[in-house]
Parts: sequence; C-alpha cells; structure tokens
Amino acid sequence: MAMEKRLQKELQALVNDPPVGIKVDADQIGQNLSEWLVNVDGAPGSIYNGEKFQLQFKFGSRYPFESPQVVFVGPNIPVHPHVYSNGHICLSILTDDWSPALSVQSVCLSVVSMLSSCKEKKRPPDNAIYVKTCSKNPKKTRWWYHGKQCYHSEYKTSLLGMSSMGINT
Amino acid sequence: MSSEFKYDPEVNYDEATMAQQRQIEKEVATKQQLIGPQEDLSQLEMEFAEDAVYFQKTKCLQKKYSHMRRTRGDGNCFYRAFCFAYFETLLHNRTEYDRFKDIAARSKEMLLSLGFPQFTLEDFHDVFMEVLEKVGSQCALDDLLDTFNDQGHSDYLVVYLRLLVSGHLQKEDEFYSNFVEGGRSVQEFCSQEVEPMGKESDHIHISALTAATGVSIQVEYLDRGSDDSVIGHVFPEGTTPQIYLLYKPGHYDILYK
Repeated sequence: MAMEKRLQKELQALVNDPPVGIKVDADQIGQNLSEWLVNVDGAPGSIYNGEKFQLQFKFGSRYPFESPQVVFVGPNIPVHPHVYSNGHICLSILTDDWSPALSVQSVCLSVVSMLSSCKEKKRPPDNAIYVKTCSKNPKKTRWWYHGKQCYHSEYKTSLLGMSSMGINT
Repeated sequence: MSSEFKYDPEVNYDEATMAQQRQIEKEVATKQQLIGPQEDLSQLEMEFAEDAVYFQKTKCLQKKYSHMRRTRGDGNCFYRAFCFAYFETLLHNRTEYDRFKDIAARSKEMLLSLGFPQFTLEDFHDVFMEVLEKVGSQCALDDLLDTFNDQGHSDYLVVYLRLLVSGHLQKEDEFYSNFVEGGRSVQEFCSQEVEPMGKESDHIHISALTAATGVSIQVEYLDRGSDDSVIGHVFPEGTTPQIYLLYKPGHYDILYK
C-alpha cells in the first residue's frame, strides 16, 4: 500500500538523519504507522528558544495525496498568532497548499519556521470562539489564509457580516 | 432558499460544508472514470440538445474531430488527459518515445537542482518512468487505460507532471512572473496553484508543461464566445499538435481526429 510504503521510508529517514531540533518518537508509533508524535524544539534565536513542543500527525489511507492531520499536543502548546490553544495550527500547507511532494519533515520545518518568524507571543484573535465550536479535526476547518493574517472561516464570515447578506449555508 | 440565514456562533458550519463537498466528490467519482472509454463525438451533441449555443458549437467541432474520451473532473483533469493522450500516441511512435524518455529521465536532475526534495521526488519519478517503460514495451491500450484508472498509479503521474510544471515555471521565473496574478511570486504561485493536487490548470500551466516536455497540444475552447466556431489554441504557438484536448469551462477532455 502506497501510504505505508511512503511512511516507512519517511520514518527511516527521520530516525537516521533527523534535522536539528526535530526528533520522532519511533517507539510510540503503532504497527500501521497511522499516528506519530514528533518532538520539536523552539529554534535558538527565536522567542521560543529552549521550549519543547510536541506535534501529533495522523495519516489517512490517501496520504501522501491528502494532507496529514497535524496538531500540537501535550503540556506546552506554543502561544502564537496562528496556533489555537487547543493545538490547532493555521498553516496553509496543512490544507489548501498541501502537496504530495511535502513530507513529515517539511511540515515540521515549516512549523518551526512559522514559530521563528514570530516577534510577540499571543493567541489568534478568534481563539475563544474557535476553540469552543471547532471540530476535533483541524482539517475540517475551512481556514482563510490572508497574508500574515489567519482566520477560521466562521470568524471571517462573522467579520463580513454574513448574516446581513442572507447567505444560506 | 427558505428562511433568512441567521448566523449561530454555537454551530460548526465548516463540517457541514465540507461533508457536502466530499459527497459531491464521491458522486463525481462514481459517475466518471478517471479516463473514460473512447466515444463518438456525437454524444457531446446530445449532452447539449437544450442549449443552442453549445449545440451549434459541438456541430462545428464534429467537422474536425470524430471521437472523444471523458476524464474525471477532479481538478487534475488537464494533467491526466495530457498524459494519457500523449502516452497513447507513444504506443505507436518509437522516435517520439525515445525523445521523450530521454527528457523524462533527465528531468529528475533538473528538479533536484531547483531544490525539490530528493526524498519525495524520487517516488513520483520512479513510478512515472515505470509507466513509461510499460508504454515502451508497447503494452495493450486497455492495459494503459487500467493503469490510468488505478488511482494509486494515476495520481503518481499527475504529481510528477505538476512538479515538472512547477520546475519549469521556477526555472523560467523571470518570464513567467509577468503572468502570475495577485502580486504573488512565481514560487508562491507554484506552491499554491501548481503543486497541490486538485488545483485547476490555466494557460500558464499548459504553456509550462508543453515547454518542459517539448510536446505540442491543441486545445479547443468550447465556451459562450460570440460566433458558432470553436476556437483552437496550439501550445507552443506555431508547432504541429500531437494531441488534442477539449476545454469546457473548468474541464478538459481528450479529442481524436
């Protein structure tokens, strides 16, 4: 099966030759490889220097043609304008811009780079309402990627005053 | 639309919307194979019996073409139609096959030199070359059709062509930057509109794929343009087309003379 073959190859590469600050917990991974935990260090020189985070990856049978489900888990969820307090991440490569040429490693590196470019620790503006109403699976959120801003769609539609437009969803 | 919509912050609308979208995708998938059988072009005429403009245009199209093959509208139809139609011609054209095989074999190095990760690129290139080998062994047409209708194999081919397009656009970055809309860089355009599966293709994608592969195609545009004729565009301009595609807004099928 394409998914298992590909994940096997990715796992081997991450275990044998991990990028700095990224470490996969190979013992945690079950037989069918469909769920991984990856330990990620805040990059030196960034405001997350010295912090340790954990990313959970879940893969469907259509991986790598469909993106993995990726969330922060564990005791330390980074405080960042694109990371919700429940661990959901607003990052375009995790949904709209996912490509089968990306990998677990490239996702981890993108997440670290997203953290590193942040100058001030704060939660997304719509954190409270999102965490209250969202699905457990962040892929079931329709994210709006707009320059440096990032919203889930209901926040955007409420901003636009959708109800006044009488749009029927 | 029944009653006026009232936004309820307690409700998760995203899930409902996406469930509906998945349902539509499923319906499309059960109705249409990735690459369908060859059918008489008069079938298209029946499809537009109720629409005078399109009906007249399909009549006109039948003067130039005899058959068609439908493809699944999953956002990858241009790549899949291109690949199948071209591989089909390679079954009977050794000289062209040898030319293309050489380009395909060398394309991996080109993509690696542009910074695509070897790790994932390799898989897609390997499967692409495997299927090309099969074409080289002059497999039966049905065999080729089966390969293209097996989603596992078929999507590998689509991904590789997407990477080829992305690679070509980035290599010719200076030229193509004039055609990228929305104030994006060519690289951003590639990661948003080329590399992800299901993103539809436009002139810029077609231009890049034909340039990267050296394959000439003619696209017949079936749309609501003013007169009864169907406008055909050859990519690259001035070349002799090797394959023919039919464009209906948002979708590509294959045409045969």
